[in-house]
Amino acid sequence: MSGVINLSVLRKLVQIGAFVFFVYGGLVTGYYLEDKISRSLPALSCAYDHQGADLCTLIPIQHQMDHRLGETIASGGNLMMGIMPTLITLGTFLILFVLLNKAFCGWICPLGTFQEILQIIGQKLGLRRHESLSEGMVKRIRPVKWFILLLLVFAFPLLTGMGMLNHDLGDPFCRICPSRILTTLATGDSSQIYLDTANATTIVTSLLADFLFGLMIALALTVRQPFCRICPMLAMHAVFRKIGLLRLVKNATPRCDRCALCAKACPMDIREIHTDMESRNVTFEDCTLCGRCVEFCPDQDVLQLKYTRFPVFSSSPQYFKKRKKQQTQWEKGNLIAWFRKRSAAPETGSS
Amino acid sequence: MYRRLLAVFIPASLLSISGAAFAAQAENPAPEPSHNHRGGEKRIILENGEDAAITLWKPDLSTEPLTLEHGAVTLPKTGMDNYHAILAEKDWGDHKEAVIRYEYRHGPPSKQSPARLAAQQKTEFEIVPDPIPREHYRYHARQEWGFLLRFQGQPVGGLQVVLQTSNGSRLSATTDASGRVKFRIPDDFPGLVKGERDRRVGDFSISSEYLQGNRRFTTQLSTDYRVSPVHWQSTRLGLLVVGIGFIAGGIIGRVNKAGEGK
Repeated sequence: MSGVINLSVLRKLVQIGAFVFFVYGGLVTGYYLEDKISRSLPALSCAYDHQGADLCTLIPIQHQMDHRLGETIASGGNLMMGIMPTLITLGTFLILFVLLNKAFCGWICPLGTFQEILQIIGQKLGLRRHESLSEGMVKRIRPVKWFILLLLVFAFPLLTGMGMLNHDLGDPFCRICPSRILTTLATGDSSQIYLDTANATTIVTSLLADFLFGLMIALALTVRQPFCRICPMLAMHAVFRKIGLLRLVKNATPRCDRCALCAKACPMDIREIHTDMESRNVTFEDCTLCGRCVEFCPDQDVLQLKYTRFPVFSSSPQYFKKRKKQQTQWEKGNLIAWFRKRSAAPETGSS
Repeated sequence: MYRRLLAVFIPASLLSISGAAFAAQAENPAPEPSHNHRGGEKRIILENGEDAAITLWKPDLSTEPLTLEHGAVTLPKTGMDNYHAILAEKDWGDHKEAVIRYEYRHGPPSKQSPARLAAQQKTEFEIVPDPIPREHYRYHARQEWGFLLRFQGQPVGGLQVVLQTSNGSRLSATTDASGRVKFRIPDDFPGLVKGERDRRVGDFSISSEYLQGNRRFTTQLSTDYRVSPVHWQSTRLGLLVVGIGFIAGGIIGRVNKAGEGK
């Protein structure tokens, strides 16, 4: 890759293209593309977006737990019939997931893209950034996505379908999902920002949704990918990550023990990329296959993005040097640095 | 003299209010304003429907004649999900009347876009939702929705179109050159209580008339609408909470940064 084009730039272009397609694509493709291709995109692409071209798999799963499996269990019906729609949804999810694996998070997801854009804005505003979260904090945060997946995507909707919870808990994740607010706002629709006073459940869920959205925006200015770390889609990907054709592969060398540049580059703070000396497939549960670790690995072919057995992108000293230089240049330019330079200029001139 | 065939399809629960001529009733009516997830049979009450030709249009554009029995037609299970169109027509020679209603039915995936059903000419003069509300969307009061008027498949501009609701509102508008018209659905449910969710369903119809020589065509699109959630959802308070979340995020960021510095 030459000039200003590097893997990160290429990824940003793909992300922006995917964002435009999934948030506004319905205007071109027709509203109901999701009926034809998939109702289960392995990324947060919201059905509440009236102009969207597809929708995230968590929506049908919650509905199927509520209206199919839950109701079937409650009525003592045929369990196989109750679970079949979910199996079909998971099947469609897997077809897409096998193709790109967790790269759906790092390359496609509109909410991931939005957080990265905020991060760029934060960087350009000169806000002091957290290069990485502490190891203890990362470890404490990691289980949250599993709880959200199990409770909000599966358990609550299932219990709602069984008549044990009120109807407003039939799609609890959607009710707090920041992507619902983001993607609708992106189309000029502010109707998803609200405080719903209908009952205690709606008050709590709407409060959580709005608070989480504001929190995510502020955090994303200084912390890399704050919501991704607790996203149930990441957990769902993690379950199936071994079957994806795209993967992150490590050919460990003794030097891996020392530099840790890969871990520092990782937006999800996966230190195991650096410390794990045994595994070859290092597509860890939080990995989004963004490829930054490969970019910032200074050793030849130590880290690789591979599609089945074929290397798609490999680390190399030459690429690393160029990439590091580009990164330094990129980080130099920000608003605070510009103001400092401007205010320092007259002094320099007078001396 | 003919008896006017059509007025509106409305949920049966509202029959006593409107006394309208058409009513649709799910066998297992859901309390929530959501699609009927059962995909079972559904009855459509049709007043003055004697001698009317009633057709069910399925998402794959196949059709099935429906029979009026005791003033109602029963929508059979069609084995496919997505929007279906129920069309009733009466032809007196010099005057042809048509009423259409789009009903979402659950079932195995139809693998068809409802845009196909909307685009298909189903009767000479028809009003088509433009677009049909997609999943998670329904007609709600205060919302603006578009409709397309077509005669023999071609859009007709300059036609007067009337929207009437079961709560007594009446609006009129004229189609533009591309045959489109937009209406903001009236917020006219009586007795709303601020802050309380209201799940009532009303009905509105959109109708128009077209003359071709001595032959008159009248058409009507009938559908239901719901109370605007604005009455129990506050965007202003929502924005306030977003702001609080933003401030909290800023504070957490600073605290963490300070912690890192130690």
